[in-house]
Amino acid sequence: MAKEKTEVKDIDRSMYDFRYSEDDAFKLQEGLTPEIVAEISKEKNDPQWMADFRQKSLEIYNKMEVPDWGPSIEGLDMDHIVTYVRPKNNKMQSDWKDVPTDIKDTFEKLGIPQAERKSLAGVGAQYDSELVYHHVQDEVAAQGVIYSDVESALHGPYADMIRDHFMKLITPNDHKFAALHGAVWSGGSFVYVPAGVHVDIPLQSYFRLNAAGAGQFEHTLIIVEEGAYLHFIEGCSAPKYNVANLHAGAVELFVGKNATLRYSTIENWSKNMYNLNTKRAKVEEGGKIEWISGSFGSHVSYLYPMSVLNGEGARSEFTSVTFAGKGQNLDTGCKTVHNAPHTSSYVNTRSISKDGGISTFRSAVVMTPKAKGSKSSTSCQSLMVDNVSRSDTIPAMDIRTEDADVGHEAKIGRISDEVVFYLMSRGMTEEDARALIVRGFADNVGKELPLEYAVEMNNLIGLEMKGAIG
Amino acid sequence: MNDNTHFIVNRIPSLTWNWLHMNETDLKEVPAGKPSAVSQDIPEGISVRESTESALSDLKTGMGANIDQLVKASKTPIHVLETESNAGRLQNAHLDFDYAGSNAYTDAVEISVEENTELTVVINFRSKDKEEATAALQTRYHVAPYGKLTLVQINYLPDSIDFLNDIGGQVEDHGDFRLIQLILGGKNNYYGSFTELSGYKSNLATDIGYIVTGRHKLDMNYVANHNGRKSNCDINASGVLRDSADKLFRGTIDFHRGCGGSTGTEMENVLLMDENVINRTIPVILCDEEDVEGNHGASIGKLDENLMFYLQSRGLTEEEIYEMMAQARIDAVAAKIPDDEAKEEVREFLGEE
Repeated sequence: MAKEKTEVKDIDRSMYDFRYSEDDAFKLQEGLTPEIVAEISKEKNDPQWMADFRQKSLEIYNKMEVPDWGPSIEGLDMDHIVTYVRPKNNKMQSDWKDVPTDIKDTFEKLGIPQAERKSLAGVGAQYDSELVYHHVQDEVAAQGVIYSDVESALHGPYADMIRDHFMKLITPNDHKFAALHGAVWSGGSFVYVPAGVHVDIPLQSYFRLNAAGAGQFEHTLIIVEEGAYLHFIEGCSAPKYNVANLHAGAVELFVGKNATLRYSTIENWSKNMYNLNTKRAKVEEGGKIEWISGSFGSHVSYLYPMSVLNGEGARSEFTSVTFAGKGQNLDTGCKTVHNAPHTSSYVNTRSISKDGGISTFRSAVVMTPKAKGSKSSTSCQSLMVDNVSRSDTIPAMDIRTEDADVGHEAKIGRISDEVVFYLMSRGMTEEDARALIVRGFADNVGKELPLEYAVEMNNLIGLEMKGAIG
Repeated sequence: MNDNTHFIVNRIPSLTWNWLHMNETDLKEVPAGKPSAVSQDIPEGISVRESTESALSDLKTGMGANIDQLVKASKTPIHVLETESNAGRLQNAHLDFDYAGSNAYTDAVEISVEENTELTVVINFRSKDKEEATAALQTRYHVAPYGKLTLVQINYLPDSIDFLNDIGGQVEDHGDFRLIQLILGGKNNYYGSFTELSGYKSNLATDIGYIVTGRHKLDMNYVANHNGRKSNCDINASGVLRDSADKLFRGTIDFHRGCGGSTGTEMENVLLMDENVINRTIPVILCDEEDVEGNHGASIGKLDENLMFYLQSRGLTEEEIYEMMAQARIDAVAAKIPDDEAKEEVREFLGEE
């Protein structure tokens, strides 16, 4: 028993918590000024419209207030955040052997090259502020699928497409951290799937933040044309530091007529991270967006993927699990706007609070007068694993058509002692019994993920549940 | 915030996105009014007096501190109803607020139910005036251990009157507070209720039935604050929106650390009858205690397709079915009123509609 307790105290997060020296990195100075933003523009060789856009976003950022409704972000001091860090002599590679050794080692430890070989159609790997590796399988590229970094796309044949879509769905006026993103964004991926193309195996982008006291502001822009299909997987992690790190990425997804996009995320930022990310999808007639989201990391999270169902018969599904452990305040959920007839949305979330963690499920379902014949169903369940944690649900519904069918249900409760007793009577330890119950509770997300990622998620739950007893 | 330009009411305990405009309501300006004409039918065992000092002023209310300031500014006397201990079940008390002859009214009521005593208070709101007016009532209550208070409020107001109805109280060990509200009239209605479930096995049951028509608003904020162990709350709101009605329901179950064994449920069922209605709902559960069970559910919009098919196959038209189901929602709440006279009056009122 004593041995078990020793294990409990020594939670092994080493698979995510390793770090490398930043000596070989180019950094801008801390803080946020027009000069720093101009420096980023220069570093990235921005076209003039983008340089102007960044400066305008900075002005908006300076005028906006921090949110007065979510977890405290007082510990985040923008004057001490470095907004741009890149490896010196950085150049994006399309072969892992050309990637600098430290960085390549990082992604190998995270299993990215191995996953690419086994089960992915393409991979983008970002290290701090820049993409270091990007590659898409030849047969996928031959179908006309574009998978590149945003910066390259800004200067290539898709430049006009980028300009037409970039921060049109998430505008700098949306909120303070969307404006921040507009000012200092760097890295991320651009994906274009032509009409009718079905990408059978997923693409993945992995974001790794190595530098202490830095921010990561990648921009993901995906356009899936009429009748096409794509599964995109996003992963992220960082080593833990004693200073605050910031992630304020943006994800803009355009889902065409009768197209389907599945967007899966396993978020495992370190527990000094402020994760103020914004994700939004616009779905046209008959199209579908499927969000699969596992939130395990970060000190503070504000994360609410939004689906704008803009065409008749458009659909959204949001499936998520949030696990808030010690020192974490994870405010997650989703927003759905029904803005066309016969649209439908389905939300199924689970949240788990343990060891003093705070999880909040926050949602909004909005049906405009155009949404006649639309349906929405939301189910959120929260599990309290101990008596020092907290769990809140704050769902809102704004329905402006009579021809709607909106259902909502939520439950908050604890792990049943009877079930734990039953499992223990079958020979399990109490800790294993509770971990098994929590894994089952989170199965709504696990069963939607490709096997490798479901295994990773289950491992994360197992890791987090270590120490739940004793 | 209450200055010359803001009069904030019905702020939810835990805020959400400001763009939803659900966190609170700003009435801009509410005039302090004179007391209304109150007719009372108070049975034996209940003492009634008027007071200028509130004995329950520490208790929070649903609409918030601005109503306290309004009551203070109006210098309206508080109608105080008090029972003895161990009085058993008392006959029902009746208060009728009749708003006539002014454009602003402010009233206050306090009810204290002592140990082992059970009291029902039925309050009706009416007016024959066609002039526009604003009426505000604040009701505070205290339910002692093993006491039971049922507060019935029925709004028969004409559509010339904006109505602010604010409630707050505390329920001690094994105490029981039942709130039954029927909102059948008024122009713009603002309702709030805050119940401090401080006692072991204290209980709150809230049933709200409403019909909102025209371009009228109904803005609500109900909070069950669980501090007592094994406390329980049930909040049910059921209503019908017609024409261009605009309704906002805020319901919060707040489980505080130490309220182990508590349970809470809130349900909302809204029938939307016309295409221009606005229905907003925010059912919140806040949970700082592991050993609790909190549930909420909402059903908003059209009638269930299977129900429609069944009733249409029995020869009813769609319009008849909707009218019948709208009536049924109010009848279901009215049926819970433990006062035959009040029930009958509701039936008559709805029959005239």
